[in-house]
Amino acid sequence: MSNVGLQLKRLTYTRSYRILRSNLWKDHPVSCGVLGMCLTLGVSNKVANAIAIGIGFTFVLVVTAATISALRNLIPKRARVIIYMIVISSFVIIVDRFLKAFFPGIAEALGPYIGLIITSCILMGRLEEFSMKNNVFSSMLDALASGVAFGYTLLILSVIREFFGFGTILDIKVTPAWWTNWVVIGMAPGAFFVLSIYLWVTRTLAKVDPQKLGHLHG
Amino acid sequence: MRDNLRMIVFVVVLGIVLSAVIFAVNSFTAPRIAKNDELTTKRTILDAHAISYQESDLETVFSQDITVVKTADKTYYALKNGDIAFEFNGSGLWGPIRGVISLKSDLQSIKRIVVIHQEETAGLGGRLAERKYLSSFDGKKFAPTILILNRRRAAGDTEVDGISGATLTSKAFEKLLNEQVAEYLRGYGG
Repeated sequence: MSNVGLQLKRLTYTRSYRILRSNLWKDHPVSCGVLGMCLTLGVSNKVANAIAIGIGFTFVLVVTAATISALRNLIPKRARVIIYMIVISSFVIIVDRFLKAFFPGIAEALGPYIGLIITSCILMGRLEEFSMKNNVFSSMLDALASGVAFGYTLLILSVIREFFGFGTILDIKVTPAWWTNWVVIGMAPGAFFVLSIYLWVTRTLAKVDPQKLGHLHG
Repeated sequence: MRDNLRMIVFVVVLGIVLSAVIFAVNSFTAPRIAKNDELTTKRTILDAHAISYQESDLETVFSQDITVVKTADKTYYALKNGDIAFEFNGSGLWGPIRGVISLKSDLQSIKRIVVIHQEETAGLGGRLAERKYLSSFDGKKFAPTILILNRRRAAGDTEVDGISGATLTSKAFEKLLNEQVAEYLRGYGG
């Protein structure tokens, strides 16, 4: 028994564990980095949209990280940002076509937001900070962790917003008949209210000290 | 110099490879996307004619009830009782507005309007696409034009209330509907 405990303890010293932990909680791209705001605010109104963007985003992040990491020694340093953009946009187009072909309802609901994955800072950040400097396996793990971190945040926000704003979860009515929808939570301003409360709670729990995030807060 | 050359070659090769991948994905998904668009159009036409259908028998209902009439540059979707529907297209205040309108067999009275696409201000002009607003057009008449009013309350068969706070969208929609309906009716030999 203690042997298993020891094994688990040892696991927490591995590089993979540290990558997962930092992305999923300590250096969370949304809570801590305040990155990917456009998508976070834009598509967190319905659970179905959040799931679709979460999966699409994670897919794009993992494959671009793998591509960039595999090519990292070949990529000319001066042209690297252009190359990130070319690779990211190609995969985003693929996701877009795929959704339009197989999930037209979700594609319609997401509209321009699928294309906005291209401009997400989380992608650029992970590629520049991690994939350009690390091997393919670590890069994919890092990308997966970042994508899942972003996805679960979207999911939490969208559950709150869809419940209060529309009285539904995944378009299924979950509130009693007397319930009055808080329409504002489902609309754009509601995204700001819910996100700020979310940031407050997660930052407090993760003991993020804004003063120490020097590079992010001036 | 060598560095520049390497950079250009790398970007070009990467571009070609990725284009090939996108091309492959596109040719695989294009037929399905076209099919989805076609189904969306059929759904909208049936909605505009207020015909109820199940998702599974959409195509059967469509082919049974709707006669597609094609002229040189226009398509009409007619019912056996003479009601017609057609797509309208034009600019709103901020962007294109696209939808389907159905007219009763007198080719004057509006049966139903459905808006498929619009880019008006959300919450103001954007309410244009809501069923609640569009149903205020039901039964109104193009004789020969329809008025959308923001200054006073609509009265009579040829007037509809505009959306408060969206006068310009209302004006654009009025112009668009009148022009498109006149044009389509001319083409229909009306």
